This record gives sequence, C-alpha cells and structure tokens, in this order.
Amino acid sequence: MKKISVSKAIREGLLEEMRRDDKMFIMGEDMAVMGNVFAITTGFLEEFGPNRVIDTPISEEGFMGMAVGAAMRGMHPVVELMYDDFVTECADPLLNQAAKLKYMSGGQCSIPLVLRMPMGSGRRNAGQHSQSLEGMICHFPGLKVVAPCSAADAKGLIKSAIRDPDPVVVFEHKLLYARKEEIPEDEDYLVPIGKASVKKEGRDLTIITWSREVNFSMEAAEKLAGEGIDVEVLDLRTLVPIDWEAIKASVSKTHNVLIVSEEVKRGSYASEVSAEISEELFDELDAPVERLCGLNIVSPFSPVLEDQNFPHPDDIVKAVKRVLNK
Amino acid sequence: MTSRPMDCPAPERPGDKIYFRKGVKTLAMKKNAGEKYSKEMLMDLYRTMVRVRAFEEHAAECFTKGMLAGNIHLSIGQEAAAAGAFAAIQPEDYFTSTHRGHGHAVARGMDPKLCMAELFGKKTGYCKGKGGSMHIADMKKANHLGANGIVGAGQLISAGSALASKIMGDKSVTVGCFGDSSTNEGSFHESLNMAATWKLPVVWFIENNCYGVSTEIHRVTNTPDLATRAAAYDVPFAVVDGSDATAVYEAMKTALDHARSGKGPYVVEAKVYRYQGHYCGDPAVYRPKEYMENALANDCIEKMGKRLSALGVTDAELEEIKQAAQQEMDEAVKFADESPYPDPAEVTDDMYTADNERCVAR
Amino acid sequence: MAFEVLMPQLGLTMEEGTVSQWIKHEGDTVKAGDVILEITTDKLTNEVASEHDGVLLKIVAQEGEDVPVKGLLAYIGQPGEAVGSASAPAAAPAAPAAEAAPAAAPAAAAAPVAAANGARVRISPLARKTAAKLGVNYAGIAGTGPSGRIVLKDILAAAEAQKNAPAPAAAAPASAPAPAAKAGGLELMEGDTVEKLTGMRKVVAQRMLQSHTEIPPVTQNIKVDVTALMKFRKTLLAETGEKYSVNDLVLKAVAKCLKTHPEILVSYDGDQVIHRAHVNIGMAVALDTGLIVPVIRDADKMSLSELARTAKDLATRAKENKLLPDEYKGSTITVSNLGMFGIETFTPIINQPDAAIVGVCAIQDELDMDEEGKLFKKQVMRLSVTLDHRLIDGAVLAKFQMDLRDLLEKPMSILL
Repeated sequence: MKKISVSKAIREGLLEEMRRDDKMFIMGEDMAVMGNVFAITTGFLEEFGPNRVIDTPISEEGFMGMAVGAAMRGMHPVVELMYDDFVTECADPLLNQAAKLKYMSGGQCSIPLVLRMPMGSGRRNAGQHSQSLEGMICHFPGLKVVAPCSAADAKGLIKSAIRDPDPVVVFEHKLLYARKEEIPEDEDYLVPIGKASVKKEGRDLTIITWSREVNFSMEAAEKLAGEGIDVEVLDLRTLVPIDWEAIKASVSKTHNVLIVSEEVKRGSYASEVSAEISEELFDELDAPVERLCGLNIVSPFSPVLEDQNFPHPDDIVKAVKRVLNK
Repeated sequence: MTSRPMDCPAPERPGDKIYFRKGVKTLAMKKNAGEKYSKEMLMDLYRTMVRVRAFEEHAAECFTKGMLAGNIHLSIGQEAAAAGAFAAIQPEDYFTSTHRGHGHAVARGMDPKLCMAELFGKKTGYCKGKGGSMHIADMKKANHLGANGIVGAGQLISAGSALASKIMGDKSVTVGCFGDSSTNEGSFHESLNMAATWKLPVVWFIENNCYGVSTEIHRVTNTPDLATRAAAYDVPFAVVDGSDATAVYEAMKTALDHARSGKGPYVVEAKVYRYQGHYCGDPAVYRPKEYMENALANDCIEKMGKRLSALGVTDAELEEIKQAAQQEMDEAVKFADESPYPDPAEVTDDMYTADNERCVAR
Repeated sequence: MAFEVLMPQLGLTMEEGTVSQWIKHEGDTVKAGDVILEITTDKLTNEVASEHDGVLLKIVAQEGEDVPVKGLLAYIGQPGEAVGSASAPAAAPAAPAAEAAPAAAPAAAAAPVAAANGARVRISPLARKTAAKLGVNYAGIAGTGPSGRIVLKDILAAAEAQKNAPAPAAAAPASAPAPAAKAGGLELMEGDTVEKLTGMRKVVAQRMLQSHTEIPPVTQNIKVDVTALMKFRKTLLAETGEKYSVNDLVLKAVAKCLKTHPEILVSYDGDQVIHRAHVNIGMAVALDTGLIVPVIRDADKMSLSELARTAKDLATRAKENKLLPDEYKGSTITVSNLGMFGIETFTPIINQPDAAIVGVCAIQDELDMDEEGKLFKKQVMRLSVTLDHRLIDGAVLAKFQMDLRDLLEKPMSILL
C-alpha cells in the first residue's frame, strides 16, 4: 500500500491507461499545457504529445460531440468538463448522441468514451459551479455512471471506465481531490463497475450513499456507535448499473434505510434508489426509506448558507435517529 | 411571407437572383463548350439520381398507404447533390447524414432493401427497426456513421471522426452532410473552429434547399451563401449549383483532396430544391410558387438526361434505367413489407455493450 | 404536510364514536372551523370541525364505522400531497395504551379490542410480514415507532410475550377473525331491510338491557288529583304571563319532595350504596333516532321559572343534537313523561345509576262522589314510579309517592 491523494490516484489511473491503450486520448479545457486545474494531467502533454492530450477551446458542445464521433470510430476519448455544471452546455452530444447511438443504430457501434466531471458542494463556488447532477445523468439510459469516494476506488474505477465499451460518466467530488488515502501498489488493479462496497457493517440501519457523503456517513456511523446504534454504510460507487444485490442484502439485514447524497432532493438519484427499495423490498422495511439530500434550492455562495445545503455528519446522525425513532 | 422578424429590410425572395447571386463565382456557372465527362460517368450519376428518386417515391407511396410509422423526410429534387457528392467520396471515407438522408444511403451504394425495411420498422432494417427513417446507419460496411435526428449533430460527429482519423493517421476523410438551417447551430461554429485549428480531414457538404421546416433561410440568416461562414475560420469553401451533379462532384472532389492532403476542412454548399414540404404530406403553403417553378425548370434528372441525349444516349436507354430503378425499389418495398417485425423481447437489447441486462433492469 | 383528523374525545367516558355522515368529501376545500363530518357518540351526534385550512385529502373512516377516541378519521393537507407521512403531528391511535413494555404485554388479549373497532393500524411492512409468520395478532399492540407505528421489535416482543403467556391465550393466529363480531345472524325474510344501528341506538339498547337485567324493578302506580294543579297553571299564566307545562310542575314537585326523601337519591355500587348529594333530575327526551336524558342539575335549588326554562332549553337542544356531553351525564333520578301520548300507566326502566324513575302519565277526567254522594268531575294523573329493589323497598317509595301526590294536589305548596 501507498498513500496518495485522490487526484493523484486519478492521475495514476489515466496515466497507466494512456500507456496501455494507444486509442485513448484526453481532451478538455486546460488539460494539456496547464495539465488541468486540479493537476490531474501534468506531464501528459510531454509524454503523449498534442494529438492525445488536447487543449480544447471553450466549446463544450463541440468537443463533447467530437469525442462521440471519435469514439464511434473506435477511439477511447476521455473528456473532462471542468465542472459538472457545464454538462448542460454539452447536453445533446452526451444525452442524445453518446447515450443513444448504440441503441438507435441497432447495436452497430459502441461509444467507449469517459466523461470526467468534478462535482459537488463545499467549495463556495455558488450555483453554477457546485451542483451534484447524478439524478439528471442517471436518468438517461445508455450511460453508465460512477461516483467514487476513496483514492483506491477513484483509480480503479477510472481504469475500468476507460476499458468499458460504453460511455461512462465519472462524478469526482472536488473536495475529495486533496484527501490522502492508501491505495494498492499494484499498477493494474481495477474496481469493477457496478459493484458497491460495504464500508462498515452494521445491524440497525443501512446508509446508502456515494462520493463525499460516504466519508460523512462514516463519521456519523462512528458517533452513532457511541450511542449504541449500529449503522451499516454502503458506498454504491457505481450508480448505473446499481448493485442491487448489495442493497438487497443490506436492507434485508437492517430493515431501515437512509439514503444520503448532496443532490437537490427533488428528482434526485437518491429518490430513485428510495423508490426502487420501496417497490421491491417493501416487506423488508420497518420504517419508510428516508432521503437526506440538499435542499430544493440553487447552491448558495455564502459559507453560512452553503453549509445548509448538503448533509453533514450531524445531520446524518439526526436522520438515522429519526428513522429509528430514537 | 419573406419579411424577416425584427423589422429588418427583407432580402429578395428565394428563387430569384439572391438564390444564384451575381458576383458569387459558382462552379455551375462555368459553362463548358463541350462535355468534359465520359458517358459512363454521367450514366452512373444519372442512374444514382433515378434510383434515389425511385426510392423516395416508393417510400412516399408506402407512407401515404399507411405502411410506415412516424414521419419521413424526402429528398426528391436534391438527387444530384447526393449523386455528385458520393461519386467523389471514396470507399474508405466516412460520412454522417441527416433526417433527409435516404438519398445519401442509396447514393453510397447501401442496400435499398435494408433501408426500406428500416423505414418500415422491421427487424431486417439497417438498425433492426430501432432507428427508422431519420437514423439509418451502416457503420461497418458503408462507413455511414448515421443519419441523425438532431440537426447539427452530424457536424460534431463528422469532426470527431476526422479527429480519430488524424490521431490514428489513416487516410480517410469524413464527410458531414447537413442542411442549410443547421449552419445556425452552435455546433457548426464550435466544431468547424476546432477542425480548422487542428487541420482535421473533414468535408462539410451543405445541401441548401432554402428552408428549415417552413422558415426560409434568409429570413433568419444574414449570410447569403452559407458556406462563406467557413471564411471566418479560414476554411476554404465552394458554392455550387446542386442541380448539376457534375458540378457537385467537382466541388466535392476538390474538397476531399484538400482534406485528404492534410490541409484541414473544406465546406461545400450545394443549392438545391426540396420538391416536397418538410415531411411527406406537408403541403408547403409557406413557399412562393416561384420556388417550385424554378425547381422544375432545373430538375436535375431531366438536365442530366439532356446531357446524355446530347452524347447519343437513346430515350430507350434512359427509360431502361428508370424501369430498373422502379423494379429495384418495388422489390425493396416487397422485402420490407414481408420482413418480420422485431421480436418484442428485443426491446431492451443493444442499450449497452457490456452488462446490458443489469443496466436496463433498474 | 398532511394533518390527521382524529376522533375527538367528547366527555370523559367516551371511548369510541361512529362516523355518521361526512359533510365534506374527498377533494373538498376546507377552512379551519368548517364542519367536515358528524360523529355519533354515546347518545349524541356531534360535529367535527377542521383545525386546518386545506383540502380533505383522504377519508379513512367510512360512514357507519366505529372509531376509537384519537383514531384516524381523515387527512387534510395540500392538493396532491401524499398522506400518512410520518411527520404529521399525529396523536397515538387508541390502541390500549402504553404498557407494551417487553415484560408481559398481553398482546393477544388486547388484540380483539382494536381489531374489532376497525381502526387503521399503523404497522411497518416488515412488522406485518413478521407478525404473520410468528402468528402474532398485532391489532392491539401499541407501536413504539414514529407516530405509534408498530415496528419489528414490537412484534418480536409480543411474540415473546405470547410464548410466555398461558396456553389458551397464546395461539390466536394473526388472521383469525376478531371475536365479538357485531353483526347478527338473523335470517332475513322477503322485504326485510337491514340498517346498521346508530351509536345512540346501540347505547340505548345496551343501557336498557343492562338496567333490566341488573335491577330487580318494582313499579308502583299512584293516582294524583290534578284538578287544583290544572287550575293553578291557569292562575300562574294569568298572574305571571308564563305558561308552565304539567311536566314543569311535576319536575318542581319531584325536586322539592326529594329534599325530604334522600333515601330515594341513592346508587347501587357493588357492596356499597352511594348517597347522592344533589338533586339532579334526568329528563327523558324522545328523539327520532332514540332517547336521551339531559340532566337538570340541582333542580331543588331552582325556582319554577328557572327550572322550566332549563327544561325547555335542554329539551330543545336535545332535539337539535346540540347537547354538550356533560349535559346528559350525572343524573340522580329521572322523570319520564308519556302523558302527552295518553299512556295511562307504564313501567319505566331505571336510568342507571339512579335508583328510581318517575313515570308521568296522561291526565284523565274521572267522576268522583263527594261526601254527600254527589258526583263531580275531577282530573287525575297517575305517577308510575319504578324502584331499584336492591336499595329501596316498596313502602319506602310509597311514602315518597304519597308526599309527592300531596304536593301536586296542593300546588301552592310546590312553590313554598
């Protein structure tokens, strides 16, 4: 094991795949000369040249669409949007093209592209640079969606995403980038897409979560343990395809569910998971499934306001007690 | 009818001189004293045009009879553009198409049976009945990256395909075929800028039939010739008479050679006439009658027929080509009609290449 | 957030009410204070008003349904809102209280109560499934989840208690039909119709049966010459302008007479007798749907006019269903008047916990003979008084009856 930051782990994943796969190229704003605003691709331009590490103009629709065209020709583009909020700028190529062309052509092509999207609240960037758009992206059939939390998962999932024949959207929480964590030394390890991870076992309630809220949920679980409440924390890691077997096993054990995400609550992916559980695991439930999400508002700027707009460990503790009526 | 929104001075109407503007040097206007193309080549172009028209007329008949679901958009009148362009496009080249794309597929040499079956929503169609008229594709054999229901999407996909060619270093060029009105999409400008900057081997072929659904292009666009927009990105362009198949061929050959030689993109605009309304059954009441008068006076098949007659081809020979096309398309309809529909159980197939079942389950 | 409309507690003894009529219907807009339904309790029909503005989202208890106090009747909230949310400010439903502690919650024993009254039981899906598996009848369990929801651990505790409970109680399967089913088993004949008893009728039936089976009754008739009384009425009308009914005068006489006969104002209570301190006269009022007995409190302390006004007020409001619950509670004796119907004598049934009831009969003309053998006409009225022979003997009541007769025959003395 070695200890590196989440951003370094992503960098390692991209670097290893770039060396392994000459069909892969990286494109996005400030990816080549600058090496990305989060230093994810520093040194790539020197090693792989301008044809495979491409600085784009600020034309999100343009370069996203071109990545789709290149992917149809068998290339493995890895596109970065500086913030997931900008996905609306390239909605058509992602949602109407990448997600649909395989099906609409009767399976004639695959679109093996990866879209990396830094996301999430807490950096005091206000409403157009702080969103968590998992719900919107997961809505579109044809895309796979992952949202890693740990450094090890970030690297292993990005490598799996690049090797996956389908378009994969990677939600990376900006506030995880600097977190240093242990990851395996082994260069070629992969984290499979579609596999959740039980971060902590427990008996009383299952917290289903992903991305940065996994860390908050772990903190909450620790506090709750001190009060005799034994919470299980399930990190989904992949949102599409969802690891239903893991959810089913956990819910069948604890019978109480809290879903935690940073999303706007209305229409969130948390809502989708909640609905699935209520539909399919109704008889396992001892209480209604509760969602703990952001408010139905624009992400505010002022720290005092923004902090109310995503769940903190104490909020999770309270929500768990609410579900358990304790 | 022709006034522009915002109370701006109205340009002259389509069909009159603005359509073939004075001062714009078009290849169509280079009148040759003698025919410079061989009889065989003109016969090929003629045959392609006739086949395209026969396909479209058969499709229209099927639509009218209620044999097709959804809408179809016909390219009757624009056949010379498809024939000329695809005469220049090489087998290793790629292309994208539009909702008005049947002609491109037929001109590319794709099987009219499979095209028609796709229009019928049949399992034997190019896309197994999952795409329909607007989304015919044949990615493996014909390098057809797909007709697209989103106006302008082909601009991005063709530029992206060209990017792939550049990175991989192959010699193919990708041709993006699209209509006049999609040049007003942001995708046109975003991807042309990048393609020009990165010198990508892409050719854009604009078929300008003057109408985006009902809106006459010059009511909403301030550039008389759409291809001139390429100049903004330092990209060469040509404007040609789209009813002249050899003029289109010539312009496209120049463009393809340019792109293939590594000099970057090229934009060709062919002025064409759309005989029908936007979709099959649209009476096109929004068009002045001069539009169709000019159109019929410039019918591309008739014009080519005259050129062939001048080279000594008999009416019987031309009629034989027409009959053969009719028969071919009759068979295509029969094939489509008799083909099975997709198995309902296939409805979730082909969403994903890997882990499809799990991905569509929840 | 939807609000719950709950069965109100009207009076201390109320345990359940019957939904008699929904005034508002699902989807209707309601304002705070609007009457949304009528319920029949013990003997009365009461109106239930909304406490919130909103829309009547869902009616939970249907007309004719019996619902325990604090049981759920309906939801009021915003249009389109989901109902039954845990965040509603719900009071616990009326499941028999809080002793569901692990120790010995007599779940099986308590079950029939809640099951029989038809109230919605809040229970989690898992708890329901587990209850079926373990054969636990959960209907009477007080849930420990939010808003009193029965959750898994409640079922497990109940199952444990069942296991430890004596054999006969234990085995009731969850799906067993609740005992004490209320429907009768009578065979219908052609043309018969079946109507569910109103809450009032049920109460009357139950009370009458109870009285008739528990009390050894004796009814004693005494004839009263009311010729003077009838004249006195006219005199009062002439002098005061007030028109008093015979019933008013009888009530006044009863009240006065009881002052000297405290032995009549008693209640039988197991191995003890309660001597009542107040002359609270219950006054039976016939209604279309049954019978109700509003109470004139401390009637002995009232003037005739006061008493008459009170009696009239109570009777009027009784007929309009506007009595407050405590206005038909706490009688110590009852007067029942069938005189206006021409009834000569009858055997009134004692209104427990009273020990006597005075039946007032019709006034009739009678011929009598004076000392000189001369016939004259007089007006007579019988008083049929029933006593509870457990406490009062015939001679004791007879003395009271005689004094009462004397009072009525010398009407001025009623007022003195």
